[in-house]
Amino acid sequence: MFDFRVLLLGLFLFGFGLLLFFGGFKALRRRRVIQALPTSTVRSLAMGLVEVYGDVVVAKETLKTPLQGESCVYYHYTIEEYRRQGKSSRWVTIKQGSRGVTFFLRDKTGKVLVDPTGAEIDLTRDFHVESRTGSNPPASVISFLKANNMNFENFLGFNKQMRYSESYLTPGDKVYILGTAGKNPDVKAGTAVESVQGIMLQKGGKSEPEYYISDKSEKEVLAAQQWKVVGGLVGGPALIVGGLAVILLYFGLF
Amino acid sequence: MIALIIIVLVVLALIALIVVGYFVGIYNILVTLRNNIKKSWANIDVLLKQRSDELPKLIASVKGYMKHEAGTLNDLTKARTSFLNAKSMGAKAKADGQISAALKTIFAVAENYPNLKANETFLQLQNRISGIENELADRREFYNDSVNQWNIRIQSFPDMIVANMMKAQPHEMYKIAEEDRKDVKVEF
Repeated sequence: MFDFRVLLLGLFLFGFGLLLFFGGFKALRRRRVIQALPTSTVRSLAMGLVEVYGDVVVAKETLKTPLQGESCVYYHYTIEEYRRQGKSSRWVTIKQGSRGVTFFLRDKTGKVLVDPTGAEIDLTRDFHVESRTGSNPPASVISFLKANNMNFENFLGFNKQMRYSESYLTPGDKVYILGTAGKNPDVKAGTAVESVQGIMLQKGGKSEPEYYISDKSEKEVLAAQQWKVVGGLVGGPALIVGGLAVILLYFGLF
Repeated sequence: MIALIIIVLVVLALIALIVVGYFVGIYNILVTLRNNIKKSWANIDVLLKQRSDELPKLIASVKGYMKHEAGTLNDLTKARTSFLNAKSMGAKAKADGQISAALKTIFAVAENYPNLKANETFLQLQNRISGIENELADRREFYNDSVNQWNIRIQSFPDMIVANMMKAQPHEMYKIAEEDRKDVKVEF
């Protein structure tokens, strides 16, 4: 009889494979929607699912990124610690968070308000540092850690092995959005001078579930989705079959 | 042996799921594309109607000033009537081109009438109609992009298999007659 951990490994591979498999179908669907939907200019936006590309412009307020203090309209940060347990070791996320405010997307024909709430935001990493023995994190990171009752040193005073990363959208960044053009709640019906003033990009209902924001171009977004499709529809089934084989092995059916 | 049969069955089920999912995906995207075309045409139609509603006001505001341009105003009125009577997309597109051409002429000729250029109502109407014209230009382009996507998809493999089952037909692009696109020459 095999160790119980073999069964756990089999179940993990099977479950992870299933997630990857359905993730592959989701990526395939998104890729097809992106391919099928022509990019709209802001001036020609009409209600419903749209795809736009342009620059980020501040609407009302900006945020400060927690680790660097950069002025932005959206950020996501992660703090991880390298932990050893017996023979194994791994990076563990000890704190992460994200926040966004409404902003404008501007192209050559105008600007439209965007509410990032509920969007899947896919950004390239803007900041990444690691601290370890003999290498302290930057001062801005240390002050964030202090403010959140966290420490980069262990009880002996040596630096822990930690890494800090941040991605954000700052004014002037190029942004690609696949989302729903709906009513702008700040503008009363019939009072907009231009029709686009009455529109806000937002998360749609059940019939338009796609809401995706990225700092990549459409071409790069499609390439990234292609990898997810291949990974999901090839890697997923491989893991499912592998996991199943391990489970069957555990029960002595092989 | 049992384990091998289970694994083979799972592999076959996964392959079947991928194939079925792939073709269902193609069907769904063709439906999305077809709806895109309908929606983008409806978005053009809305603006055409809005512009058409503004035309009588424009004609009324310029009639008193442009007494020597009765022919141009008449062309605009005729084009508007053609648009209001048009049922098909082709007929509407033709009338749209005629209206755009007549408007271009009126706005260009208006430069010869300083009193008209100082008229607040005319300026407001000119701005409004020019705004709609710009939006229309973008939406025509969007419509043609949607039609292009559809036409390419239904003729490409493997989408054509599903398209044939749906009896999908190519759509026509939104075309404006060449003579209606020409710039207006005005003699001062």
